[in-house]
Amino acid sequence: MTWRNIQLIFSREVADQMRDRRTLFMVVVLPLLLYPALGIGMMQMTLLFSEQSRTVVILGANDLPAPPLLNQDGTRIIDQWFVNEGDSLTLNVVSDLAVDQTPIPNPEGTSKEVPAESSAEQDNFDERETTLQVARDIRLRLEELKRLKEEIAQADESEKPDVIAMKQGQIEALTEQVSTLFARSDIQVLILIPEGFDEYIRAENERLASRESEDERTRMRPIFIRNSANEKSLIAYGRVREALDNWEQAILSERLQMANLPTDLTRPVNEELVDLAKGEELAANVWSKLFPAMLVVMAMTGAFYPAVDLGAGEKERGTMETLLICPALRSEIVIGKFLTVLLFSLVTALLNLISMGMTGLHVLNTASSGQLSALGDSAIPGFEVLIWVGILAIPLAALFASLSLAFALFAKSTKEGQYYLTPLLTVTMGLTVFCLSPAVELTPFYSLIPVMGPALLLKGMLLDPNGQMQLMWYVVPVLLSSFMYSGLALMWAIDQFQREEVLFREAERFDMRLWLKHLLRDKERLPSFSESIFCFVLIMLLQFAMLKTFGNALQNAPAGQESWTMMRLLVIQQLAIIACPALFMGILLTSSPLSTFQLRIPHWKYLALGLFLPIIMHPLVVELAVRLAWFFPSLPEHAKAALATMADGSVPWYWVVLTFAVTPAICEELAFRGFILAGFRKTGRHYLAIIFSGLLFGIMHMIPQQVFNAALLGMLLGLLVVKSGSIFPAMLFHFGNNALGVLHGNLESMRQTSALTKTLTVSDEFGVHYALWLIAIAVGLAIPMIVYLSRQKTARM
Amino acid sequence: MISVEHLSKHFEDLKRGRVYALKDVSFEVQPGEIFGLLGPNGAGKTTALRILSTVLKPSEGEVIVSGFNVVTHPTEVRQNIGFMSGNTGIYDRMTGWELVEYFGRLYGLPEDLLQHRLHEVFETLQMNDVRDVLGSKMSTGMKQKVSIARTIIHDPPVLIFDEPTSGLDVLVARALLEAINSLRTQGKSIIFSTHIMREVEKLCDRIAIIHKGQILAMGTREELAEEHQQPDMEELFFDLIKEFEAEQKAIAAES
Repeated sequence: MTWRNIQLIFSREVADQMRDRRTLFMVVVLPLLLYPALGIGMMQMTLLFSEQSRTVVILGANDLPAPPLLNQDGTRIIDQWFVNEGDSLTLNVVSDLAVDQTPIPNPEGTSKEVPAESSAEQDNFDERETTLQVARDIRLRLEELKRLKEEIAQADESEKPDVIAMKQGQIEALTEQVSTLFARSDIQVLILIPEGFDEYIRAENERLASRESEDERTRMRPIFIRNSANEKSLIAYGRVREALDNWEQAILSERLQMANLPTDLTRPVNEELVDLAKGEELAANVWSKLFPAMLVVMAMTGAFYPAVDLGAGEKERGTMETLLICPALRSEIVIGKFLTVLLFSLVTALLNLISMGMTGLHVLNTASSGQLSALGDSAIPGFEVLIWVGILAIPLAALFASLSLAFALFAKSTKEGQYYLTPLLTVTMGLTVFCLSPAVELTPFYSLIPVMGPALLLKGMLLDPNGQMQLMWYVVPVLLSSFMYSGLALMWAIDQFQREEVLFREAERFDMRLWLKHLLRDKERLPSFSESIFCFVLIMLLQFAMLKTFGNALQNAPAGQESWTMMRLLVIQQLAIIACPALFMGILLTSSPLSTFQLRIPHWKYLALGLFLPIIMHPLVVELAVRLAWFFPSLPEHAKAALATMADGSVPWYWVVLTFAVTPAICEELAFRGFILAGFRKTGRHYLAIIFSGLLFGIMHMIPQQVFNAALLGMLLGLLVVKSGSIFPAMLFHFGNNALGVLHGNLESMRQTSALTKTLTVSDEFGVHYALWLIAIAVGLAIPMIVYLSRQKTARM
Repeated sequence: MISVEHLSKHFEDLKRGRVYALKDVSFEVQPGEIFGLLGPNGAGKTTALRILSTVLKPSEGEVIVSGFNVVTHPTEVRQNIGFMSGNTGIYDRMTGWELVEYFGRLYGLPEDLLQHRLHEVFETLQMNDVRDVLGSKMSTGMKQKVSIARTIIHDPPVLIFDEPTSGLDVLVARALLEAINSLRTQGKSIIFSTHIMREVEKLCDRIAIIHKGQILAMGTREELAEEHQQPDMEELFFDLIKEFEAEQKAIAAES
């Protein structure tokens, strides 16, 4: 590979994209225009926005106690009860207070030109009357309802059941009627004040003032009716509640005063709230959400469109072959294109952020009133933070650039290329939304997850510019892992670009039946790469689908039998979910299941390795697991409890060994070192196949703590299979490793009784693990053995 | 100089299982010779030439171009060939000059030699009028000229033309054939594939008739006429294909 060719291709592609009006528009013009346009739109919307008024009906308004809740003519709730002035206008009150002041109807024939106002008044009056009538209807039915319910409640056993049933039916019908009436009317909240309510309040106040004991009088309560499923009703209720709370507070104060009690009687704690958030911190909070999300989305779209043009577009325009016959290597071409996409992704993301930041700042500064003004003027993040935005944009853009380029090179037309945007965007958005949740913070584990690492790091930096030093620790793993992922994606892209069937994909009609026929007819000796991937996906999907079933089975297990049930479930899971798919696929899809599953007698030395290596490595495995525990998010409590039940000793040891050692050794080996590894090895790159199948083996274990060890172990097992040409040494190894793992669970109790165990192990804050000298011996012996193994010739498949 | 020995290429098809695009094809092309591949559409011409240009890999057989094996030394092979086909388009958003210059650089020509060659090629192909025209604005003839300029800019010893005249009008096609003819005198090994009899008759020193991935006959025009006792090329072509189809049918009937 030469830098000269990469540079040549890079500069041509950049010049080419710069001459493309669409790309320029997407990358430069759109962000520069979009946000100011959005800003202007938002300003206009806020200016034009006025809340529609909602209708509140109050029946029995004449019985409202002092201080007055409504204005003179009973059409508004008085302003003073609202927090924000002017909110009273959002509630249109219809009350029966106004009934006495009926406008005098126009005397007939006074004038042809009836003033528009008075006729409008008349209309208004009629409308109010209708509304009130509906409200009264509702009140009538509610009273009836209440009466019926009381009757049923008081009914004794002597009452005939059919009478009760009839009454129940009446209740249902009435409830239905009330709902319909309420829904049809334009009433959002209906308030029913009982007759004599003001009298009742006054009497209560006096009773309290004279410290009389409570008498037998029935308590009176107004009734509020709303429909919480209706948004309008909900909003109106919120407003009414606010006003009524304040009003109620005023009544309460009066009552307390009359009774000579302190006004803060009802709030014994009566805390004082001190909010330390400064304007800029509030702003930081906003930016810390907006910036990472925008950066991710824009880096992604900024990469995708140029990538499709450079990949599928080149095929579509018929220039791909021109490029393929020039002396530049395929990898040089892909890297040149990758750098171009990277550049455009970065520029798009940063231009978008700058434009958005500037517009946001301007809008905030202009909007001098309203709630947004709390965000203040010093809203822009500090300069160092902005540099971090730029730095973290690079790994994100690199990942998206290589991923979308791989998709774009695979697609045969730009149209097909666009289709791949959706899944990519969905996954990315999912990860981003997760990052935005305030509870999610950067942990060592998250820092290694693609997209999430950079996004969370950026969020942390923006949230607390002073806490950067604590986050510095994460910069290295975040950047390293991100670049590793984009490197892998780039390798995948180059691999795509070297495959004839990808480069010269014909637009052939896909026929499911033909394809299945082809699968079964043109069997090859070994599974293909995609069949292996399919097998893995199938295993994962089955596991996912069975989670609920297994969980239920475990919950319904009889008390004391949990561990038994657990073991049986584990064995079933191994057989049905892991071994079966692989076995079926191997027998159906390959012509030589024996070679696929590597069922051959190996040389004795591999069997010996399979037997002794796990024993030698056991202290090392435990040490790794114990030392790395801090790295992973801790298990939820119920999972810990489930794991604990397995080791409660209620099951005989041979069952434990069968469940945890024998079954996995057979089932997992058949699937992962059998079918899946064979498919990967078909590419001819055995070491890549070993690493990849090991990683999948790790992922399959789902519990983060197990993933790491399982992946390493999976790779070693893969090596054993590749070198020995047989699956049996791997099964032996797997069995030994898991059996020793079971033993390790019992070490704590063995330390109590056995002196030997005590000398071999240490128990400290990490748990029980082996003595340092034992680990040293393990390392000293295991490394030469593994090196010896890897130096052996790769066996035929 | 090109040498192809027992070349086969197969791929897996959903409907038909394993399909041979080329089956045991062998031929040689000497310097100063134009070798014609004559065959109907889908005969395997493009597949064969794509293997020569290292874009596809052979399933079996050995292909040596200018002394380099296409499998083991693809970069050197590409360095030494000029390839032009209906599938090697030119960039829409580049001018003729820029495009030829770009490929010249990719072929690794030193800058002063490149500028010299550019002037020379643009002069001989009489294409100074397309110098500053963008690819998207060119007529088909202009594009074809730019393609030829790209093919010969690095002065390769081997030239491969895969149906270069398809879709061209008579005038442009004639000019193109003349340009190719003049390259013979420069001692290049040239492969020219087409399904048009007339072009082969006019241009080629030796001819291979290819059908369904197999070479049915090969030789100079005179040799072919003599061997099959058919002086008319077109008749000869149809006779051979008819004969082949009959044989295939017989084989199918037997099995």
